Amino acid sequence: MAIETDLELMLRVRDGDSASFEILLRRYRLPMVSYFRRMVRDPGLAEDLAQEVFLRVYKSRERYQPEARFTTWLYRIATNLALNAIRDRKDEVSDAASDNAEGGPIVERFVDPRPTVEQRLMQGDRKRLIRQAVEALPENQRAAVILHKYQEVDYRQIAGILSVSESAVKSLLFRAYETLRVRLEPLLREGQL
Amino acid sequence: MKCLETEALISYAYHLIDEPAAAQVRAHLGECPRCREIVEQHGRLGALLDEWKAAEPTPGFDARVRQAVEAQQARRKAWGFWGWDWARGLALASLGVLLVAGAVWFTRNHRSASNSSGGRSVSYLSGVAMQRPQQASSPQAPAQAGVKTAQGMPELKSAGVSFNEDKDTQALEDYDLAANFDLLSELPKGEPRVAN
Repeated sequence: MAIETDLELMLRVRDGDSASFEILLRRYRLPMVSYFRRMVRDPGLAEDLAQEVFLRVYKSRERYQPEARFTTWLYRIATNLALNAIRDRKDEVSDAASDNAEGGPIVERFVDPRPTVEQRLMQGDRKRLIRQAVEALPENQRAAVILHKYQEVDYRQIAGILSVSESAVKSLLFRAYETLRVRLEPLLREGQL
Repeated sequence: MKCLETEALISYAYHLIDEPAAAQVRAHLGECPRCREIVEQHGRLGALLDEWKAAEPTPGFDARVRQAVEAQQARRKAWGFWGWDWARGLALASLGVLLVAGAVWFTRNHRSASNSSGGRSVSYLSGVAMQRPQQASSPQAPAQAGVKTAQGMPELKSAGVSFNEDKDTQALEDYDLAANFDLLSELPKGEPRVAN
């Protein structure tokens, strides 16, 4: 049996085929949830946002026009939702970070990362350090890196998702990866040992 | 040896450049340990970032999505049965009211505009016609526009300018009418301008 493309499925959803929507849901449930889990800190919020993406896909099925790739459209909806949620909860997240017993706000902790990182290394908390380093990136850089690195979306497609030029995406990625390299340098050195 | 730009090295490390450009970077890396170290660091960074695994959706996720979709379908059906018909009726009624109001407004304005513009042109022209004899009998009214026109004529004639009084006066009157149309429209309505 041939695997139906996202486009074919979405066109059937547009015509009222709920079974095709089920297939799309199964196909993209993990990418969507993992995308939001990396974009927003709160796991509950991440699932709510992923659910909202599928609901919006369903709601707008009749207006769907196959002008771009289905995943571009899907991630554009997801990215808009994620960035809005980040902006809405910015103060809240900042407060939560400052209340965190392990240290001050994330950004401040990366002003001079080495002692803090080494301290974290002692605790063996590499995953948290990576997450915090990514979360400390500016919103667009964070979205670009997560899409590129974790969702394995091509930079040309990221340009469509973020509604910016390809060169702008490259620029976002350069800055983001270089910032991450500097911030996570102690972990990188550790990996060499 | 001159090192490559960091952007070129990062582009290479994350496959952001096409193959010919990548081949050039590869050739350079064979000879430049410093650039090679930067690319290797980014390779290690990529591996390090892979350690951040995202969790699976919770077991009830799919069910919640289905539930949300079904709720949306139900809302839409309910809206279609009651709300949509009601909304459509309201929209049509509003449209009808707007059309009637627009027609009344247009009719009133159009009528008053045609009345006032017709009346004014007559009154203005008549006013000018009426002013000429007055100017002759009462030259002490220099503020009136018609007086200036009437006074200008002898000067033009004395300067040797040929002046067809009927034709040119009509042209001047038409010109003044057009130029002062807005001012004329501000005159109080309903006052008889023609002295019968």
